[in-house]
Amino acid sequence: MSANYRSVFDIIGPVMIGPSSSHTAGAVAIGRAANRIFHAEPTEVVIHYYESFAQTHQGHGTDYAIISGILGFAPDDSRVPDAITIAKKRGIKVTFIEEDGDSPINHPNTAIIELRNADREVTVSGCSIGGGTIEIREIKMDGFDIKPKGPLPILLMQGQADDHHAMSAKLEKLTSINSEATYHAGDGILYEYDLENRLKNQDLDDLAKEHSKLVYL
Amino acid sequence: MSVKELVKDSMDKQTPISELMIQQEMAKNKASREEVWSTMERNLDVMEAAVKRGSEGNGVFSKTGLTGGEAVLLKKYREKGHTLSGDLMMEAVQNAIATNEVNASMGVVCATPTAGSTGTLPGVIFVIKKRLNLDHDQMVRFLFTAGAFGMVIANNAGIAGATGGCQAEVGSASAMGAAAAVEMAGGNAEQSAEALAMAISNLLGLVCDPVAGLVELPCVKRNAIGAGNALISADMALAGLTNKIPADEVISAMDKIGKDLPKALRETGQGGLAATPTGVNMKMRIFGKTVDVGDEN
Repeated sequence: MSANYRSVFDIIGPVMIGPSSSHTAGAVAIGRAANRIFHAEPTEVVIHYYESFAQTHQGHGTDYAIISGILGFAPDDSRVPDAITIAKKRGIKVTFIEEDGDSPINHPNTAIIELRNADREVTVSGCSIGGGTIEIREIKMDGFDIKPKGPLPILLMQGQADDHHAMSAKLEKLTSINSEATYHAGDGILYEYDLENRLKNQDLDDLAKEHSKLVYL
Repeated sequence: MSVKELVKDSMDKQTPISELMIQQEMAKNKASREEVWSTMERNLDVMEAAVKRGSEGNGVFSKTGLTGGEAVLLKKYREKGHTLSGDLMMEAVQNAIATNEVNASMGVVCATPTAGSTGTLPGVIFVIKKRLNLDHDQMVRFLFTAGAFGMVIANNAGIAGATGGCQAEVGSASAMGAAAAVEMAGGNAEQSAEALAMAISNLLGLVCDPVAGLVELPCVKRNAIGAGNALISADMALAGLTNKIPADEVISAMDKIGKDLPKALRETGQGGLAATPTGVNMKMRIFGKTVDVGDEN
């Protein structure tokens, strides 16, 4: 099993706006993952909090953190504390729900984000495991119910078997693939690659040129 | 990776842990030495800026009014020259508190390993810089060593208050600081591991009970203890004291204790100091609701 914390900068870092790495910086990261998956500006966002997130989101600034991630801000962006106001000005309806029960993805710092607009709806279940590091444990998008092991980075690709073989070969040159999974929805196929190391921006751009419908978390 | 493996690697190769960490980071992320080094330099700059900001003028204050201005009180107290535990120790405490006051006021910090425990390492690093006349490069190396040990703790136990309590946050930070301080003082990797083991052992069982769920009370001052404990543990290891229980077993004990802690004491703001009458009143004043918020939306 591959370790969750793979870089020294997961431990010494991130540079962030206070007050909590798990409930603020980690929440920004979960929001950013949702932003990358949805890949558009939503008209409505519903956030379900569980356990520690449900009890302490107000005190930790989790609300503005998660919204700032959904808007695509970095954890040290000075606009982070104003994210909810910014979202409302852009006409995004935002709802926070403190859930009573245990986390469906089995972690005390859980947020489940629903994003929707006129065209599309996705659900992203993430947890913040400490120090700003997160896991994504479930994604519902385009009819697929994706259940990654959790640790990032994860690359998702919609395509056919040929695309998959080509992608695997390319990824193997850039890093190691810790695990792969295949999901079906109607005629569509989605491939999930759990990677050992983060991809460089240039490498990611090159992959995106040849394969559309990539999601990199 | 275990502490034992990390120490063996360092002793076998006669290479400091900071250097092993730099090489691993370069190899894993296909990054140049310059990239890795400059990222860590930036983190050091952020730490230094937070320490400075929290100790200047009247200091910084959080929006809630629960914390702030106390680093400045310590600074003024130190100026009188009558500290009981010595000026170096109280400067470490001041720097730790300054950093966490900046964090509580939604300022910019470098999470080491978390934001709640962000003051502990700055508490250690800037006083040993003075004490040992460390140059800039050695301070950057301090952070690589601290990070190497922090990765072992994070991957084998955890660093989240919600899963492990404050022992996993300030306890981990204190252990990282102790281990790195030993390397800077010329100790070997085995002594770093002993310092780490002692530092965590001293804080085992520490609960996460933030008043009103805010990273303020008692988080800010727990970082002062984290920094002080790191310096004391480093000194004990350099003097040749050992923990007897090996570092990896201590980390494993911390993990188990975290799992045994009730939810009320794992960053839910529902137990410990958060559940005292005063803690509950503070929450009412700030959020207008009682501690048990489970049934509210």
